[in-house]
Amino acid sequence: MPLEVELGVFTRMKPELLASYEGKFVLIHGEEFVGAFDTAENAYAAGVGRFGQEPFLVKKVTVQEEVYRNQALSLGLIHARI
Amino acid sequence: MPVFNFYHWSKEHGYTLTESGPLVSVEISIPTALKAHLSEKGLSIPAPQSGFALIDTGAFATAVDQTIFDALGVPPIDKIPTKTPHGDGESPVYPATVTFPGLDVREMAMERVIGCNLKWQNVEGKEIIMLLGRDLLQYFLLVYNGKSADIFLAY
Repeated sequence: MPLEVELGVFTRMKPELLASYEGKFVLIHGEEFVGAFDTAENAYAAGVGRFGQEPFLVKKVTVQEEVYRNQALSLGLIHARI
Repeated sequence: MPVFNFYHWSKEHGYTLTESGPLVSVEISIPTALKAHLSEKGLSIPAPQSGFALIDTGAFATAVDQTIFDALGVPPIDKIPTKTPHGDGESPVYPATVTFPGLDVREMAMERVIGCNLKWQNVEGKEIIMLLGRDLLQYFLLVYNGKSADIFLAY
């Protein structure tokens, strides 16, 4: 499962990441915490520069994680016909 | 400010705005940083994937069909929790570059796009590959004119 290791590292490190980097985007590759960046774009560019097309995690450090809700999509109403 | 009108009408199918929803043509390509990396390595750059975006004022985040990222060879950079009436789940997050040829908006960087299963075709055979959410709509003026089956967009 891609990013499973990286997400595990993020979860373990979250308390210290919140203390130091809240609001920033962190870059994690495998077990390695690479760094924190002001924007997701900068974190991604750094990740591609170091790891190319290998999977790496770019995640915003926030207390409450964003949740994706799309009512039309989740209810299957996008192309419903009545 | 460039403004564009998109009439949702065809000779074969008549007015299609109510049936299909507001659609604009879209091209999804790999992020600029990945493009630069592939160029440096002398590797081929995947061709942009074309289709239509359904304007979805009910969605916060823009979503793109998962198969588009598979075709482009872009790995996910995150996963976020999803809430649906069928239970909780997870969706991958991808970076992308988005172009709206009909709006003359080119190579707009999107750092976080949701990957999900949404591809379908409308009555005219137009393939919808994107749900254009409010994270992108915040840059547009949108008028939905149901009376004349057209939408007005300004960027």
